[in-house]
Amino acid sequence: MPQFTDLLFFAFAGMALLFGFLTVANPVSRNPVTSAMFLVLTIISLAGLYLLLHAFFLAAVQVLVYAGAVMVLFLFVIMLLDIKEEERRRLKTFTVGVGSVAVAALLGILTVSALSAKPGSPAGQTRLAVGDTAELGKVLFNHWLLPFEILSVLLLVAMVGVILLSKKDLK
Amino acid sequence: MNDYSLITLEILAVIVGLGALMVDLWIPASARRALGYGTAAALGCLLAFAAGSLSPQAGLGFHNTFVVDDLARYFKTFFLFGAFVVVLMTVDFAPKIGSGLSEFYALVCFALVGMLFAASANDLVMLFVSLELITVTFYVLNSFQRGRIASLEAGIKYLILGAVASGFMVFGIALVFGSANSTNFGVIASRQAELAHSTVFLTGLLLVLVGLGFKIAAFPFQAWAPDVYQGSPAPATAFLAVGSKAAGFVLLVRLVTQAVPQIAAEWNRLLVVMAAGTIAYGSLCALPQRNLKRLMGYSSIANAGYLLLGVVAMSTSGSTAVLYYLGGYFFTVLAAFTVICAIAEHVEGDDIANLAGLGQRSPFLAAALSIAFVSLAGIPPMVGFFGKVLLLRAVFEGAAAHPSFYLLIAVAVVGVVLSLYYYFGVIRSIYWGANPSSLAPISTSLGTKVALAACIGGIVFLGVAPSSLLKIADQAVQPKSATAAAQHAAAH
Repeated sequence: MPQFTDLLFFAFAGMALLFGFLTVANPVSRNPVTSAMFLVLTIISLAGLYLLLHAFFLAAVQVLVYAGAVMVLFLFVIMLLDIKEEERRRLKTFTVGVGSVAVAALLGILTVSALSAKPGSPAGQTRLAVGDTAELGKVLFNHWLLPFEILSVLLLVAMVGVILLSKKDLK
Repeated sequence: MNDYSLITLEILAVIVGLGALMVDLWIPASARRALGYGTAAALGCLLAFAAGSLSPQAGLGFHNTFVVDDLARYFKTFFLFGAFVVVLMTVDFAPKIGSGLSEFYALVCFALVGMLFAASANDLVMLFVSLELITVTFYVLNSFQRGRIASLEAGIKYLILGAVASGFMVFGIALVFGSANSTNFGVIASRQAELAHSTVFLTGLLLVLVGLGFKIAAFPFQAWAPDVYQGSPAPATAFLAVGSKAAGFVLLVRLVTQAVPQIAAEWNRLLVVMAAGTIAYGSLCALPQRNLKRLMGYSSIANAGYLLLGVVAMSTSGSTAVLYYLGGYFFTVLAAFTVICAIAEHVEGDDIANLAGLGQRSPFLAAALSIAFVSLAGIPPMVGFFGKVLLLRAVFEGAAAHPSFYLLIAVAVVGVVLSLYYYFGVIRSIYWGANPSSLAPISTSLGTKVALAACIGGIVFLGVAPSSLLKIADQAVQPKSATAAAQHAAAH
């Protein structure tokens, strides 16, 4: 007897896969704006999956930051570029062929490993209540303090890099 | 419980990077050269600090995500040396970089921070985060010469392929966490026997290997190397060739020998194919190259293959050989790139044919470059010879149990013979090249002299007296520290 959460999982997972596919390989439209919109839907579906894992804060941040702020930025960049050129570009048969073979092989490996996994084996030891902000903060700033701080250096590098690569040439 | 004394070196390296970034605001443009020497001096002090009596105490910290042991210390010393030489060579390369020189020094320091953390990573999350810091920094460093299409192309190619490799790796880590319920190397090691039967875990591990394979430019993840090596600014290429590759190898060695030794032993056929493919691809494709930096790209692939020999052997002698060879590789490749930077102003383009006349223009630089290539080719008494002998011996020791190792040795020997041809092509061009474009003498700066003296000294000294470094390398890979760490982690 499947529970309601199981049904929700399949709904969100199915949506994430479908919208993810439509982001990169939309058979109807090759407009980058359409792809970006499908990416928003993918992100929202993933937020649903986070909710099912009791990661409430992560789900909220996913929608606010990624679906909101980051995607708006994406859309700005896309609109600054020449959209028509992307639509005109033809795909090469060789590229599509090699890509399909690689994707099929990876899909095969993942399917085999997913089918062999037994639900309830080690992964099944769920640790509930890690999802609210207080718990997340404790885990993040105790156990994962060092990786967190390294990421702050990484963000600094990204900022320096963006400014360097986009500024006018200074003499 | 966080013991901050463990990460003293990393904190100091961040401070040096921030210092280079900030000091630039207050000094006049004419003092840029002094800034480079200042950064190099700071890194030199750190190097002395790390190698001297003040080196960080051994121990686990930060909830077992960070470990300081002999292996970590060994690599940290070499990473610091690499950054020191790269900053020195950048001083001579500065006119080609143009604006943003202080940021270049700062980014080299931040990449160094990522490498220092990678040397100590004892957790897949730490592994991923430190590799990302290195990779993201190199996205910027590789495309630093914005005016050159080749440099931008290198940056974009590294960005796209690097992002794909990171995607594979993070997906693999997710699968490992899903099946092992932990990302810690110690915990994974203690539960290896049961995890070896979990297909999900093995798939995850395979995907993590894909990510590491990209970092070390191993077959079949090597496609980016030639274009990126050729297009990037020479100091960035040098740091990519030694630092980024060594970071990949320290993580690979730690993962394979400490976290999953039993599973890796079962996978030796996969590793044999990877090593043989890498050597064959690198050596064969290097043969027709006419561009020096592109040749270094293919040479870097071939050398990743030789280093994989030590990983394939799955023994302490194999790991010792990897460490020793990497140590020699640091000196050799840094010497070659220091010369490339020093002549960048005087020799047009990176073509090997343009090296013609260098023997007369600057006997010192010509000799240094020749010694580097002789060592890369594996000629005694240079360090490259002894390193290759150690690697081959390690594989040979395991050949009785695994007949496929004989095939691997054959491929490696053919690779070495082929390498004689393309490395000596460079030396022939230096001394006997036809039609030199100019015969004006090339003066070398003090920084270049210091860097080259250190590198050449290392190449010759380690070749003549290998036992000094060999003893340290051997101590670094002894399993005692690993089991202690695993037990420590399991107890928590």
